[in-house]
Amino acid sequence: MNTPLSLPEMLHCEETMVLERQRARMKWQPDQLQLHVQSEGQGCYFGGGSELNGTFSLGQSIESLMDCGGAEAVFAEVLNHPIKPDPGVESGWLSGFDLSGLGYGACGFGGGSGLEVNFAINRTLSCPPAVAVAAAAVSAATPAVTAEKAQESVVSEKISQAGRENSKKRKVDKVHNAKIEDESRDKRIKGCPEEVESKITEQSNNKTNNNNNKEASAGSSKENSKVSDVPKLDYIHVRARRGQATDSHSLAERVRREKISERMKFLQDLVPGCNKITGKAGMLDEIINYVQSLQRQVEFLSMKLAAVNPRLDLDLDNIFAKEMIPACTASFPTIDMLSDMANPAYLPFSPTQTVVSCSGMETGINPDLGLRRTISAPLSIPNAFVNSSCFTQLQQPSTWDLGLQNLYNMEFHQGKTMAFPSQQFAGSVEGSNLKTEM
Amino acid sequence: MAPEDPVTVSPPPPPPPPTPSLKTKIARRFVKSLAEVWTSRKLATEGGVRKRARRIKIAAYSSMARAVGGSRRAWSRALLAKLQGRAKRRCHLRSQRCLGLKRKRAGSRNMVRNEVSGSDKLRRLVPGGKAMDLCNLLEETSHFVQCLATQVKVMQSIADRYSV
Repeated sequence: MNTPLSLPEMLHCEETMVLERQRARMKWQPDQLQLHVQSEGQGCYFGGGSELNGTFSLGQSIESLMDCGGAEAVFAEVLNHPIKPDPGVESGWLSGFDLSGLGYGACGFGGGSGLEVNFAINRTLSCPPAVAVAAAAVSAATPAVTAEKAQESVVSEKISQAGRENSKKRKVDKVHNAKIEDESRDKRIKGCPEEVESKITEQSNNKTNNNNNKEASAGSSKENSKVSDVPKLDYIHVRARRGQATDSHSLAERVRREKISERMKFLQDLVPGCNKITGKAGMLDEIINYVQSLQRQVEFLSMKLAAVNPRLDLDLDNIFAKEMIPACTASFPTIDMLSDMANPAYLPFSPTQTVVSCSGMETGINPDLGLRRTISAPLSIPNAFVNSSCFTQLQQPSTWDLGLQNLYNMEFHQGKTMAFPSQQFAGSVEGSNLKTEM
Repeated sequence: MAPEDPVTVSPPPPPPPPTPSLKTKIARRFVKSLAEVWTSRKLATEGGVRKRARRIKIAAYSSMARAVGGSRRAWSRALLAKLQGRAKRRCHLRSQRCLGLKRKRAGSRNMVRNEVSGSDKLRRLVPGGKAMDLCNLLEETSHFVQCLATQVKVMQSIADRYSV
């Protein structure tokens, strides 16, 4: 057992990893968070063994991640901002963001340890438990990171460090596993789906089964370490206990069954209400129901969206075009605040809109489209309002120099908006403005 | 992308994140195609609500599949192929689907009774699931479920916004 020798090294590496990750988190809160959200399986990749673990150990923090994690929150906020006239959304979002950062920190480490606790207990035959837990946590977290990064072809120090660390860990494990392979095999395979991205290599190497020589060169190159680490986990741990069948077919079958149960566990965390159900069949039924309900929901929502008055399309276009521009998203809170105090806010509303529609300053808006929008104004007051108040800021100087159009549109307004006293009010104000101009 | 950059302590959060999340990607694509559906004169005049709904549904699925990376995942590949095929030859699809199902059912008869029905149902639901073994099927299912839930969230927020 050379673990007392190599454990300090491992700890050192692990601490540098922790430090680096913390520093990166401080610097790069938004995109780092988002990157890790992806790499933790929160986003499109589900390299998220640690999401799974997080739900085991720190379900709360993962919830906060899920709700306000990183860029998802950015877009959710962007999406929801025009809807909610609440100016406090911004601050709430920010606090949620910090919270999610903290939650991430907690789940990044706690999650890993949660997964590998059993494994570490197994290893306490020769190691102090806390050290083993910490080391296992980081080593569980790093392969996901390396796999992710290598796929994105971002060559960084982190990868090499992780690779070295992994290779060291692997050696230690190898010594360990002479004894406790059989017990730790289950846990380790459980840890494997973290590297979902590299699953293909894992499987292919699983077939070849002769990657012993790769271990020698594991620490040398990053890619190599990434490729050889993962399959080695599998290869070493596919071993039978006493009394189990040892021919290759039953070994493969056992691995397959373990993989399936692992995936099922992952799905169980994804599907709500699936936690109580035990048994594979019931779980499958539940998953099927969930997928069906989601697909039905998509159908229903598409019906709903198709039934929406398509005249609002321009608003949608404009709003999302505006939202892509950061400056305008920054100015949304004030606009929403404006829209809160409804009646005075209509003062800028109609004149600027008429100017926008008739002066043709915006390239994409024709006069008739503007007219159409004023027609549908009673339906879509908030939307049109957000637009027009955007234009207020953009085009305030050019507002009052088009007397004829204003007159025309004023008539139009007064003809159309008997249902809206505030708009009549706007029209009258417009009239007074016209008087002053004339 | 670009995780390591110059050392600055607590910069103000940059407004557009460099790599958009899944929700952002889906929402962008979906909104674009939704606007196309809404603005198209042809659909507005001749096609009824049902036709538009079908178009929107297709837009939703394809935006979801493309946001994942198109051909990166098996389900997104199959979904895109299915949608493109549907656009070209809608009539052939039904017969093909029936054939596929029959073959699958005949193939997996000797499994446990419950699992057969369950996994077969799942195979029908997850695009491209017919050709997968159970292990891959479950993996694809979990990814698909994640994406589908995100898509539903996006659509829900848009629908909430315009229904009022």
